[in-house]
Amino acid sequence: MQVSIKWLHDYIDFSETAEELADKLTMAGIPVENVIRADEGLDKVVTGKIEKITVHPDSDHMVITSINVGQGENIQIVTGAPNVKEGQIVPVAMVGASLPNGQKISKSKLRGVASNGMLCSADELKLDTTNLPEEQLVGIYILPEDTKLGVNIADVLGLSDDAVLEFELTANRGDCFSVFGLVREVAILTGNQPKWPEIAVKEDDAAKAADMVKIGIEAHELCSRFSARVVKNVKIGPSPAWMQQRLEGAGIRAINNVVDVTNFVMVELGQPMHAYDYDQITGHSLTARKAQPQENLHTLDDSERLAKGGELVIADSEKPAGLAGIMGGLESEVTENTTTVVFEAACFNGPSIRRTSRSVGLHSEASGRFERGTDITGTIRALDRAAQLLQDMGACTVAQGIVDVYPEQKETVHVDFTMEQINTRLGTELPAEKIIDILEKLYFKISDLGNGSYRAEVPSWRNDVTFMEDLSEEIARIYGYDNIASTTPRGNIMQGVQSDVQSFVDRLKLALSYMGMCEELSFSFTSESMFDKMDLPADSPLRKAIPILNPLTDEAPLVRTSLIASILENTMRNLSRKNEDIKIFDVAPVFYPKALPLTELPREVLKVAGLMMGRRNDVNWSTDNAVIDFYDAKGMVEELLDILRIGRYQVEAGEYTAMHPGKTALFKKGKEVIAAVGELHPKVAENLGITKKAYIFEMDVLTLMKYTANKTSYTALPKYPAISRDLAMLVDATVNAAEIERVIAQNGGQYFKGVTLFDIYTGKQIAEGKKSMAFTMQFQSNEKTLTDAEADEAFQRILSAVQQEFQAELRA
Amino acid sequence: MEEKIEQLKQEAANAVKQAVASIGDLNDIRVKYLGKKGELTTILRGLGQLSKEDRPRIGQIVNEARQQLEQLIAEKNEELRSAELQKRLGSEKIDVTLAGRRPARGHLHPLTLTLMEIKDIFMRMGFSVEEGPEIEKDYYNFEALNLPKDHPARDMQDSFYITEDILMRSQTSPVQARTMENHEPNSPIRMIAPGRVYRRDDYDATHSPMFTQIEGMVIDKGISLADLKGTLETFLKQIFGEKVKVRLRPSFFPFTEPSAEVDISCVMCKGAGCRVCKGTGWLEILGAGMIHPNVLRMSGYDPEKVSGFAFGMGVERITMLRYGIDDLRLFYDNDLRFLKQF
Repeated sequence: MQVSIKWLHDYIDFSETAEELADKLTMAGIPVENVIRADEGLDKVVTGKIEKITVHPDSDHMVITSINVGQGENIQIVTGAPNVKEGQIVPVAMVGASLPNGQKISKSKLRGVASNGMLCSADELKLDTTNLPEEQLVGIYILPEDTKLGVNIADVLGLSDDAVLEFELTANRGDCFSVFGLVREVAILTGNQPKWPEIAVKEDDAAKAADMVKIGIEAHELCSRFSARVVKNVKIGPSPAWMQQRLEGAGIRAINNVVDVTNFVMVELGQPMHAYDYDQITGHSLTARKAQPQENLHTLDDSERLAKGGELVIADSEKPAGLAGIMGGLESEVTENTTTVVFEAACFNGPSIRRTSRSVGLHSEASGRFERGTDITGTIRALDRAAQLLQDMGACTVAQGIVDVYPEQKETVHVDFTMEQINTRLGTELPAEKIIDILEKLYFKISDLGNGSYRAEVPSWRNDVTFMEDLSEEIARIYGYDNIASTTPRGNIMQGVQSDVQSFVDRLKLALSYMGMCEELSFSFTSESMFDKMDLPADSPLRKAIPILNPLTDEAPLVRTSLIASILENTMRNLSRKNEDIKIFDVAPVFYPKALPLTELPREVLKVAGLMMGRRNDVNWSTDNAVIDFYDAKGMVEELLDILRIGRYQVEAGEYTAMHPGKTALFKKGKEVIAAVGELHPKVAENLGITKKAYIFEMDVLTLMKYTANKTSYTALPKYPAISRDLAMLVDATVNAAEIERVIAQNGGQYFKGVTLFDIYTGKQIAEGKKSMAFTMQFQSNEKTLTDAEADEAFQRILSAVQQEFQAELRA
Repeated sequence: MEEKIEQLKQEAANAVKQAVASIGDLNDIRVKYLGKKGELTTILRGLGQLSKEDRPRIGQIVNEARQQLEQLIAEKNEELRSAELQKRLGSEKIDVTLAGRRPARGHLHPLTLTLMEIKDIFMRMGFSVEEGPEIEKDYYNFEALNLPKDHPARDMQDSFYITEDILMRSQTSPVQARTMENHEPNSPIRMIAPGRVYRRDDYDATHSPMFTQIEGMVIDKGISLADLKGTLETFLKQIFGEKVKVRLRPSFFPFTEPSAEVDISCVMCKGAGCRVCKGTGWLEILGAGMIHPNVLRMSGYDPEKVSGFAFGMGVERITMLRYGIDDLRLFYDNDLRFLKQF
């Protein structure tokens, strides 16, 4: 919705500038998005007289003009305009002007000749070009001969005091999609009285409308009122300039007097209208009914549309003559040859209009108003107003009567309230008189029911008011939100807490970030092609992702089932930007449908995933350039589990999504996998164009939480010293460290405290297929200081066990 | 005898003063004069051979000489140690301007940092933190919030649909209805609900198909619009600083009545008008209002008995203003050069 200040001024006086009025309206809940001043960009454009024209020495299409702008000395301007003549008075953009079309004027030279300004066309100044002669459309705008020189062009053209207000109206205020509605708001905000125009029509034609046209409603749930008037002896022509200007201010193009009148009434009163060429209506009957499936609709924009069925149409006795409330039909359009017109003003069901308008992709000024709801009592007034306006132009005669189908009278809405209810809701102490005054100025009729109760009769155009709460908003917005003093909620003291899961997630994120990982946030979308790149088997449950009915792009049509996918995408983005040392993690849900298509909400499973690659340390003068390997990633997981107080798990070699099958460790509690870490599968890496080794991990947050110890207890410090023994041995290269450690622990005896692998070596001096491993073992007693003999005994037992179990050879 | 002692004393003092270059040399001097077989010690030992009359006098002289010498040696010792330390310190000098070996540190995402701070502020005000599913029923996302199908306000949010009745939630507001359902009817609630939400918006500098919202709701007896104003002012001053000005503008949301858009004075230009606030001096920061009676009723609360307010805000917007970030895409591009700044 947009409207010019001029149009508002037709019905109410106010001294506020456009900006001041916009601010008042905005702060009262009628948001003005933009104030477009008619003189925007015209402040350095003045009137000037072309005193002299000389030939340009170096151009055959440009001339040099000498312009008198009333400043004593003439200024020189080079122009290429074809229609300049000596003696003309024209708009001159002076140096420093910034024109409405964005062009900035500065001193320049055109083919070597100095030019200190610009002669302007109507288009460059964004002036109305409707009645402009052809040569001025392409050339300079010419002003009347008696125009004063050196005067601002906006003053000469009467643009200085006009502006257009562009509203961003809220969906509930359908009534403000009209000049009348806005004037009512301006009235209460300025305290001035509106001057409503008298709406009266002389039915000066003997013909009776009811005899000429039949009106009917079949689809009662979609059309609650259908009213029509007939005008005869219509002379189609342009509408008067004042009407065209007002329509232009409202952003509506003038077409002809009949169409302009319907648009004018729509903007003025908020009631959309339509005009039919009476002679093109087959059977001279109009019925509001639902379209049949596949029924052909030929709309005004000359496109053929096939109805889905159920859309509301206005049909003559044969075919639809228009999509009700959205766009008229081409056949019954008013043309130069039209002599008799049927004006329609109806009340259509908003949701139905909205559905149809969306499904056919047609939004019009009319459909927007119907969607928000119109005043059902307003159809007659609109018909009268339209006939009156056309009659005043001398362009028609008006047939007797109105054909009005209005089966179910809308009942007046009443809202009961007390002053206390309103004041309690707002946190105010407004006196009853103040509240009544505001409501009455908004045309509510208030009656005192006694006992502190009041009844408000809601004006017919305020479809948005049904509860006391709605009245409280009217009071608040007019009284002013700024005037309400702030308080803080009283009442029960509440404990501010977050859930255990939320606290756990915060702890997890902090732990990973302290350990060098950067948190990323990624979109929840994914695609089949990402699954292919991740080399997921055809029957992988991860491929069973939920499709979005209306995805934004074909690249992301699914809801993600894997957080690793997101981590990999972000890694690729970073690699493409030459960020090659990467340690990232993400904590987010993935979505597993129970069945597809969804019949119930999917399972949302919170995961944490990470990726590490590149240099282990930041580049530094003292550290080496070692790159991250599997054990960095595994250590990250181990330390995280330790921070989260999760222990007593087993680690096994295994397989996992997108991981190298020979370089994957699964952390398990019994049979349950609580974490997986591994090298990115070389094939996946190749598919993604990741050329360096990368390591990924993934965990399920709730599973981790299940195993986190709620409290840890302290272990007493040992009173007696420990003894250590080292064991270096050769074993088969295929033997896992964990297996040896298990055997050592099993055979360590009562004083065994722990074992640590401190060296592992293959290469020189070690036979092919073997490796050297060195362990250090701790022995300690809580009761006494151990003797060497006791430690040696345990050592011997361990040695013979590993020799037997792994054919280990003791190294000297 | 006295002369000899005096001579030895002079000799030793000179040796200490002149000849000594190291603590080792000083020790040699000590041994020579004061050691077990040192010259002064020898005299002291030989006191017994002196006459009874001479013994105390000579003894005192020797002891005095001995003490003086010991003090001289101690002083010299201190002097030498200090010089040696100076020398060592000089030779041990390193280039302290070389970069230190920092422990590897990671970074939380700026949105997480903002979210943690917002949660903290509200928890201190007695709000609990609630959550709800991201894939949600149309009922909770719209209908329970007084937005029946075909309501024109649904145009305000173009959503990603999964089926006709299930969608990716377009706001965190459905957590309102879910929280009320989980409470005894009419029992008081103070909660916030942070989370990801989804809208069918093109990805550009100010829009994203996924973003982060925080919903808030308070229900109790006699909660008023003035309480809403006070609560939001407290929050906004904590997050943007005491000097920030807060303004409520009437607006429309189907789930609140009255409704308000909440503006803060521009944090960039302090209200003078700049590019960020489009010259208005104000920044729209959140939407709020008194909970619509229909919303309360649909979730089993009685609007005759209790009232409440609700508000919703974008975490991205607040984070952008706090750090002066001008492109929303930076949050989801996850460029490490960006992430490492927080």
